[in-house]
Parts: sequence; C-alpha cells; structure tokens
Amino acid sequence: MNIGKSVIIKGELSGSEDLTIEGQVEGKIELRQNILTIGPNAKIKAQVFAKAIIVQGEVHGNVAASERVDIRDNGSVDGDLSAPRVAIADGAHFRGSIDMQRQGQGAKPGDMKHPDAKVTETKPTPPATHAGVPTPVR
Amino acid sequence: MAVTFKWGARKGDMPVPAPAMVSEPPITLSTSKVLPRVISVLSQRSSPVLLDLGPVVGSNIAFFGDRLACKIHVEDLFNEVEEHARRSSRDGLATTLIGRLRHPDESIDGVLCWDLFDFLDNATGKALATRLASLLRQGGVLYGFFGTTPVELLHYTRFAVASENTFRQKTYPATAVRRNVLLTRDINRMFEGLVVAESVLLKSSTRETLFRKP
Repeated sequence: MNIGKSVIIKGELSGSEDLTIEGQVEGKIELRQNILTIGPNAKIKAQVFAKAIIVQGEVHGNVAASERVDIRDNGSVDGDLSAPRVAIADGAHFRGSIDMQRQGQGAKPGDMKHPDAKVTETKPTPPATHAGVPTPVR
Repeated sequence: MAVTFKWGARKGDMPVPAPAMVSEPPITLSTSKVLPRVISVLSQRSSPVLLDLGPVVGSNIAFFGDRLACKIHVEDLFNEVEEHARRSSRDGLATTLIGRLRHPDESIDGVLCWDLFDFLDNATGKALATRLASLLRQGGVLYGFFGTTPVELLHYTRFAVASENTFRQKTYPATAVRRNVLLTRDINRMFEGLVVAESVLLKSSTRETLFRKP
C-alpha cells in the first residue's frame, strides 16, 4: 500500500498491511503488526507505532517499533526512538533519545513505548572480563 | 585531528587511508585502555541511561544498545560549539550547551564527552562540567579525552566504537580554534564532585580519562 506524494493526511492512520508513505501525515500512525516505510519525500509530524519502521524522509515525533527502527541515509528524525534494535546510517539526522531497554527493565509509566507493543527480547552480549581491571566502580 | 589520536598505536593500527580517488578523510583505528572499563562499569548497572555529547553514530547506538540494553540521549554539543565558532563568538555558549541538557539531576549513568572540552574555554568548560556532574547518578561515569598539546584544531572527530577496546575515528571540518589545554590539576578542579577513576596518557599526548561520581 502506498500513500503518494500529493496526499496529506491529518488524523489517525492505522492498518494491518505494510505501508509506504511518500506524502504528509500529521497526527498518529499505527501499524502494530506491519512494516512502515517513510519514503524520501515524506514529511511526518506524528507519533508512529509499527512492527518495523524504515525512515528515509522526515519525521517529527516519537517513533516506537516492536522490532526495529532503521533510519537510512538522508532520513531525519526529531523525536524519541523506542525499539529493541535501532540502526542509524552515517548520513542520517537524529535528535532525541534512543531507548533500547528490554521490556520490563527500564520502562516506566509515561514512557512512550506503546502499551501493546511486543518487544523482541535481545540478549545482550555478556561483558568481557578484563585482566587488570579493578572492582567495578559503583 | 584524527592523526593526533594514535594511542596504543601498533603497526596494524595505523591510519587506513581512503582510496586515492576519494577525498574522504582517513579513518583511524585506535586502541583504548579505558573504554573496556567504561563498558564494564555500565554493564553492572540495571537499564543504564547514557548521554552522548557527540554527533549520532549508528554503530555506537547499536554497540551500546546490544551490550547494555540502555537508553541513550544524543545531544550533539559539537554542533552548538561549531555554530558559535562560526559567529566568532563564545558569548552565551555555556548557556546554550547547558540549555541542551534538560534532563533531571542524577538521571544519567554514563556521559560520553569524547574530546569536547578541547574546544571549550575554561569558563564554558567549568559550567558544563558542573552541569554534567549534577546529571550523573551516584556511581555514574563520565568518559572523555583531553589533548595536552596547544595546537590549532581544524577538525572534529567522530568516534565510532568498533569493539570493546577499539575506536574508528573519522574527522569532519571545524572552524579553527586553539585547543584549550587543561593540566591534570585543572581537570580535577573543573570536574569538582567527580573523582578520576582511570586516566591514561596516550602516545598521541591525549589523556583518556574516566571519572566517576562517588
């Protein structure tokens, strides 16, 4: 499904299929089980929730994904990201915070994580032991 | 500035020049003695919160996210420094920098300063250091580099963590500014309220330092 360059949507956008946006959206976008692609021409001023989000255009607003957020080269996000996996390309613009905390560990009431979002647990690499490193600073 | 950061340099660690046809700055691979300690400390904290004062680097986000499952605030203060440098005015720089740090006091576990303080005068550095110290939680750490040679800085450096003890550094242009060289004593005074947990003088005459809040 595609939303073309000339389309402007103000309000809430939700659905159950993958979506590519090339136009403008103001409000809220929710595709809990699907992939959202924000195309190079898109301008989004919205809270965005999806399974996976690929950003090639501009987003002003918080972005939450249950699997992955991928900000590509020339993509731009002004807002907070929440996802177990986040990839930001070298040429991308980002201003905000990135929350990769595992569910149940750092989430506090009022955090932007979507309440129904399923977060895939990522197992962190265990910290290496370093010879000569004194007792951890606490 | 990349060439000034050849710490722990071995033959295999020397700058890898970009292909001759491309005018990209070289990428330097460097070994760090302090970064493993930073990671070790942060990995012992539950759901740590980091504050990165450099430009956003995707590989750092992925690295720290995978290792620490943390929250990272990215506040590129180098960008503010550059804007003031272009206007040839440092007036209000301290206010601007501190204005970017609106996080609650004692809400941060780790601050990644990189070499920011090389670009700041004493008054601005002191004001920023005081704010950063107040942001840190008890036991939190602050990680930075302090150059010891008074040279003209023509580049900022993007530090990309390549592994637990190595960085890739890539430079990007800066409005020229003389490095503010801080003596160890001055650094300790500037970061009042923090203690030096580890400090290593690198071959590049840069001091790699880890502070912690007792």
